[in-house]
Amino acid sequence: MKEAKTKSKNELLPGTLEMLILKTLSIESMHGYGIAQHIRMLSADVLTIEEGSLYPALQRMLVKGRVLAEWRISANNRRARFYTLTTAGKKQLGVEESRSSQMFGAIMRVMKTT
Amino acid sequence: MGSVLRRLLFFFRRDQFDRDLEDELRFHEEMKAHALADADGMSGDEARAAARRRIGNPLRLREQSREPWTFATVETLARDVRHALRLMRRDPAFTFTALATLALGIGLNTAIFSVAYGVLWRPLPYPNPDRLVIVSSAQQTETGPRTFSTWAPVSYEALRPRVTTLDQLAAYSSIEAQLTGRGEPLQVHALDVSPNFFTTLGVNPARGRAFLTGAAAPDDDRSAIVSDRLWRTSLKADPAIVGQSITIDGLPRTVVGVLPPEFSFRPVVGGGALALPETDIFLPNRWPGDTGRSAFLFLLGRMKSGVTQERAEAELTALVNDSSIVPAGALGTEGALAPNVRTLARAVGLQEYGTESVRTLLLILLGAVSFVLLIACVNVANLQMARLSARRGELSVRMALGAGRRRIVHQLLTEAVVLSLLGASLGVMLARIAIDVTLPLVPQFALPRLGGIVIDARVMAFCLGLSLVSTLLIGLVPALRVSGAAFGEGLALHAGEARTTGDRQGERLRTLLVAAQIAMTLVLLIGAGLLIHSFVRLTSVSPGFELSGRDGVVQTVKVTLPQRLYDEPERIHAFARGVLDRIQYLPGVKSASLINSPPFGMMFIRDEFDIEGQPKPKLDAGRPKIDAGYFKTMGIPLLAGREFTARDTAEAPKVAIVSQRIVREYFPGGPGEALGRRVRLGDRGEWLTVVGVVADIRQRGLDQEVQPMIYVPFQQERGDVVRFVSFVARTATPASAVEGIRAEIRRAAPDLAIESTVTMDEAVAASVAPPRFRMLLLVLFAMTATLIATCGIYGVMAYAVTQRRREIGVRMALGAEPRDVLRLVLTRALRIVVAGLIVGLAGAAGVTRVLQTFLFGVTPTDPIAFTIVTLLLMAVGLMAAWLPARRATRIDPCAALRAE
Repeated sequence: MKEAKTKSKNELLPGTLEMLILKTLSIESMHGYGIAQHIRMLSADVLTIEEGSLYPALQRMLVKGRVLAEWRISANNRRARFYTLTTAGKKQLGVEESRSSQMFGAIMRVMKTT
Repeated sequence: MGSVLRRLLFFFRRDQFDRDLEDELRFHEEMKAHALADADGMSGDEARAAARRRIGNPLRLREQSREPWTFATVETLARDVRHALRLMRRDPAFTFTALATLALGIGLNTAIFSVAYGVLWRPLPYPNPDRLVIVSSAQQTETGPRTFSTWAPVSYEALRPRVTTLDQLAAYSSIEAQLTGRGEPLQVHALDVSPNFFTTLGVNPARGRAFLTGAAAPDDDRSAIVSDRLWRTSLKADPAIVGQSITIDGLPRTVVGVLPPEFSFRPVVGGGALALPETDIFLPNRWPGDTGRSAFLFLLGRMKSGVTQERAEAELTALVNDSSIVPAGALGTEGALAPNVRTLARAVGLQEYGTESVRTLLLILLGAVSFVLLIACVNVANLQMARLSARRGELSVRMALGAGRRRIVHQLLTEAVVLSLLGASLGVMLARIAIDVTLPLVPQFALPRLGGIVIDARVMAFCLGLSLVSTLLIGLVPALRVSGAAFGEGLALHAGEARTTGDRQGERLRTLLVAAQIAMTLVLLIGAGLLIHSFVRLTSVSPGFELSGRDGVVQTVKVTLPQRLYDEPERIHAFARGVLDRIQYLPGVKSASLINSPPFGMMFIRDEFDIEGQPKPKLDAGRPKIDAGYFKTMGIPLLAGREFTARDTAEAPKVAIVSQRIVREYFPGGPGEALGRRVRLGDRGEWLTVVGVVADIRQRGLDQEVQPMIYVPFQQERGDVVRFVSFVARTATPASAVEGIRAEIRRAAPDLAIESTVTMDEAVAASVAPPRFRMLLLVLFAMTATLIATCGIYGVMAYAVTQRRREIGVRMALGAEPRDVLRLVLTRALRIVVAGLIVGLAGAAGVTRVLQTFLFGVTPTDPIAFTIVTLLLMAVGLMAAWLPARRATRIDPCAALRAE
């Protein structure tokens, strides 16, 4: 049930998840769990990122060269895979930001009329 | 680009990737468990289990994470192929049926396509073949355009230097020539060609040179170019042949060139209806001094590059209608073209010109075999679906284990691809065999360009395309079913429901497909039925003369006397008389005579005629030259008067015998009225007294109208037409008598080649060979389709019976008789069959019109063919359902119910 909800959200705005990940990583390098926590916290629990969406998305971004992955020691002294934004990723973030602000602006305009 | 490299790298470090992902997910899980333990105060194990639950199916997650890295799923493809092969091995009955069906469908299509491509579309073996055109003339008449393919030499010589849209304009005329002095005298197909013939084609001899095209060279009419085949056979592949002399029609000719082995030129005559065999000897000719109006030259032009056919036609038309260039009246055979009507010049592509006659047939055959393939694919798709229901368990488990729907569809499509490709490979082999077996059976003259029929890269590409289509057909239907609703419940269905009521939706689809099969099969069968009925009608037509029977068979032996040796009619008369006198007394010969243009032969000469004291008849009459005893020998009834006798010599009064058609049209008083009247052939011929009336015969074919005939004594004819002599003899023992006749001809003229020896039975049979061949092909295709469709009905019914085993068991336990069960199953089958038949009948009524030109004496909606074929197919369909129905009656209710 829950999965279906996120899925439909992602389908509604394609690329949104990737944009959120890029934004998160632009603050600092983070591991997958951290990314999910970060997004959940900042969105005040509205956006729950499912593992089934998060990890494939990260792999897609790796393939496209937007993030790099390396094993580091996490804050609680565990070995974790950290993702870092590449130059291409930063550029992509800019593109996504302007596009999404356009999109949201457009949606809002549509919603406000009548 | 970078992503491709990264993916490649991934491919070599898959294990590392798996380990990394594993570690990463474990880390995630632990973090999550940790968070849960903190928040909800769960114990470690509880939290871990909860975390695992929340994360969901780890296999699917892993699959999905892996997916972005793979190349069009190369690996999964390999895995799916292996899986498909394993499944096929496990179910040999299915595999065999599916492969055989597909191989049949694809094989037939490949074979017919290779023929159609080789004949219709493969570029001719000359450079820039699309620029080669045959120039013909046409006039618009009330009944549509009349086209004339040939031109008089004066017209050719007038056009050649003036036409600017053509690079070259060559002329040729087909002749028979005799090659002597090299073993047995040989009759060969030869072509009189203008010296620029090979320049026009763009072909150079492999040895020696082409003809000189400049001003008339001294060796002009003394040279010859021979085909590679003739050089290899009769000339014994003599490497020093160029420059040597060979004797053609009694004259020495110097061989100046030998053509390359791949060279081929089959002149097309009869307005594109007949393709003559390959030409073996080419003789240069400028037709000097031939200023007559007789039109016998075909014109072959090579358009300048960039010139369209329309432009060439416009220029030629302008030239043709300028009487200062082309003398009026020299455009066609005398009387062929109306004066004062604008004549159009036409330029038809050489390839198109040669294949007009077979294009329709080949396209129809292609259509027929594509139906067969469709039916075959439907069958395999049906089998697949039935199997799919059986495999529902397997697929459900796979889905439960994390295989996405896309993945399953992928796998099913892969199975279809594997099947199709295997079927296609078998099909190509089948096509090869079919072509090798069938081509020698193709009637002579029926197909131009047999040499172009090979299975090459292009045909293979077509075959591959077919397998793609069949993949879609047999893979997509079941795959769509998987995405359908019924599969969502997977395991639940597998648990038990399936065994009782079956997969309703799937069954409906299968039923629909089988009905479609029946419809398509019916269309094919009706096509075949029409051709069969037409053929029966055709062969029941009497040729008008007696074929083999009590009185023995009529044997014909044909010779053509070379003009150079037989320049005087007296010589020909003497030769014919001499041979005839002797063969009459050969043992086994009951009677003998001769004719210049035997019925069902290649030659038929028609002319206008007059009847004294009557207005000009509208019809033309055939004018064969015959000797005494011809009608008796052929078994053509004499209706009035007398036959010709040995006394009707050149010096005797000129006489004629007319056929019944002339009496019917012009002598209302009956045969007696015609006797003693005078007729005249041509507009300047002598008046001939009618001394007899004979029954009509079919001169040119059983499907042709009866022609008016005016027979004239051979000995009284002085024209060129008597150079063609066919001796006819009614003999009881054909073989020995024929040897005797041949020996007599050789004795009278040792250098004369004997062209052909056939019985009249053979000649008639040869004339119906093309329709017979067409009929057999279509019957073969229709039978194949029927066989496949029968398997389809059987399969669906058998499957339905198995599925409804329990239901039938319950019915029988409740008192249903075997008869009721039988009715239950058969009614179902009948419903499917009848639905298919109705659709098929409607389709056939719309489609059979394409067969129109091939039908004789039946309409495209012939009720007899439609009725018989429909009933037949219904019977076959019920028979296919009978076996499963019988099996249903033997279901043991106890066993069926206990099985639950």
